[in-house]
Amino acid sequence: MAERGDDGKKRARFAPYLLLSPGSLWLILFFVVPLWTLARMALSSKPSRFADPTFDWHWSNISDAFNRFGPQFYRSFEFAFFATLFALAIGYPLAYVIATRGGRFKNLLLGLVVVPFFTTYLIRTFAWKTILADDGPFVSFVRWAHLIDLVRAVPLLGHWLLPSPDRILATPAAVIGGLTYNLLPFMVLPIYVAIEKIDLSLVDAAKDLYNNGWQAFRKVIFPLSIPGVFAGSLLTFIPAAGDYVNAYYLGLNNRSTQVIGSVVQNQYLNQNDYPLAAAISFIFMVIVTIAVLIYARSFGTEDLV
Amino acid sequence: MKRNGDELHESGLTRREFFEASAVLGLGAVAATQLGPFAGRAFGASKPTIKVSSWTAYMDKKLLKPSGDKIGATVKYVEDINSNEEWFAKADPKLRRNQSIDRDGVVLTDWMISRVLQLRYMQKLDAKSFPNKKNLLSALRSPSFDKGRVYSVPWQTGITGVAYNAKTVTKPITTMDDFFSKDLKGQITVLDEKRDTIGLIMLSLGQDPSTTDYAGTEKAFQKLEQLSADGIIRGVNGNEYVNDLSQGHLAACLAWSGDVAQIARENPDIKFVIPDSGGMLWADNFTIPKTSKQAKLASKWINYWYDPKNAARLTASIQYISPVNGVADQLTKMGGDAAKLVDDPLVVPTPEMKQKLHIFNSLSESDEAKFDARWAKALGQ
Repeated sequence: MAERGDDGKKRARFAPYLLLSPGSLWLILFFVVPLWTLARMALSSKPSRFADPTFDWHWSNISDAFNRFGPQFYRSFEFAFFATLFALAIGYPLAYVIATRGGRFKNLLLGLVVVPFFTTYLIRTFAWKTILADDGPFVSFVRWAHLIDLVRAVPLLGHWLLPSPDRILATPAAVIGGLTYNLLPFMVLPIYVAIEKIDLSLVDAAKDLYNNGWQAFRKVIFPLSIPGVFAGSLLTFIPAAGDYVNAYYLGLNNRSTQVIGSVVQNQYLNQNDYPLAAAISFIFMVIVTIAVLIYARSFGTEDLV
Repeated sequence: MKRNGDELHESGLTRREFFEASAVLGLGAVAATQLGPFAGRAFGASKPTIKVSSWTAYMDKKLLKPSGDKIGATVKYVEDINSNEEWFAKADPKLRRNQSIDRDGVVLTDWMISRVLQLRYMQKLDAKSFPNKKNLLSALRSPSFDKGRVYSVPWQTGITGVAYNAKTVTKPITTMDDFFSKDLKGQITVLDEKRDTIGLIMLSLGQDPSTTDYAGTEKAFQKLEQLSADGIIRGVNGNEYVNDLSQGHLAACLAWSGDVAQIARENPDIKFVIPDSGGMLWADNFTIPKTSKQAKLASKWINYWYDPKNAARLTASIQYISPVNGVADQLTKMGGDAAKLVDDPLVVPTPEMKQKLHIFNSLSESDEAKFDARWAKALGQ
């Protein structure tokens, strides 16, 4: 009997590790090993353009990446920041309405948010290129209604978003718009889940305590939905910062829309400078990780949805 | 509830059956790929296969099968090259280690041929299987990167010039200055094929791209940088310009002759011009990777296309400039629309046209690296 008990204890001790092993193996194979290779490549150098890179603690790749591509790093995060902001501005009310007023149509409405995303990313982005064509109906209307001028009148941001008064394509506005559109469901779904969990009788309680509708939202609903906002923002911001498809097709990769992803592509495919491309990717990952940690520290909750 | 259950049964697939079926299918697929080659040999019926990588708009599918039948092989023609650089990035790691890239022929632009020949990634064409090489136009017989055409031979050649939409551009474009004018600010793109863009700008500055080295391109790069900084150029385009132009995203762009001929068939507003200062001439060349074991067969295949009759049929369909002597005569013999092409200087260049066309000089390895980096800098990349 005693032996069997020991056996059981032993098994209990190893069980968690055993259960973790598929996941750990996955992480080691597809995260740790590639990361290690990437780091090694980032510190390698090539004696000539088409030679094999050799690992020699070539730290100047790192400083090179910073010195030469600062603006693109900055721009990537700028685009991601605005895309996250806009996705939140659109996504929060949407999620709120679906969760609280959706009634029996809840699932249908959620489905409608997701359905367009059954089409591939690339095709959706391409479709926007057609929608935003210079002489297409949309841009013609926007021009006619002076909406472009209106945006351009916004101090600081206006001329940055839309450098030209007569078009939208190939501007930061187009890239940010594309990112916002493409990542919206990643914002909506976590917020929906968070709001859906809230017991709405809390709102009644708040109203009993003389809160009006807005106060009840501000003091009860919003704080309780913060985990959703937090998760949604991360799920939007991280892919947006690394994305280069929108910058390439909607921004046409020009001076005002070039992002760090395009730089990596250029260094890798055109310049054949694998070490520099690896260094840029590595720096990018480090910045994102640090940013996320800071964000988690200041706004995060333990309850990630 | 009961109805649901019935429906499930009617669909006739329990979970277990589904898994069994998938397992069988999976095994079958594995068996097919593993046994395929053996099965072919065992029955002694299968023809050898050659695999060729090329670009879009370079082949008429109807002509492909006869070309294989003639040499007693199945030709797998894959349109998987979109850019020389992307192809290189994929093939380089393998060829560097002598690993097969699973192709018996690839079609690459002049300057990339120069690079892969310097790296010794290609093997010689089999001269005995390729007697029609004598039909190669004399002007293309001995480029600096492959003297005597031992390793590579042109597949098609074409012209780079300016394409514009006559609906948006009311004043016809005739010079590069027209193209870069303030009227078209933000509505034009240049090509990401660097030599085409820089070559055209050099010509407009009165410089000769056919003899230049890296230092000689600096003025053109400065101009490109200025145009990009001023927002005259909207961006850089690859093959996507075809869509952009026909959908009205662009007023004008640098473009390749055959593409525009094909767009213009559907949209006659799209025009192609060679700027007064001159256009760029390039060739995409057929070459055989060193890892191919079918060099003889691949050489026989290219021999087929160097028969003027076959070359003319291809030209009639894709409307690029054929590198083969005697194509014009064959086109005339074919009659109809094909015969009309003989009078199109973009398909059969006249002597005056030829004088306006220039081939970009091949750059040394170190110059090419500087050239590529300078390009990125000029465009803020």
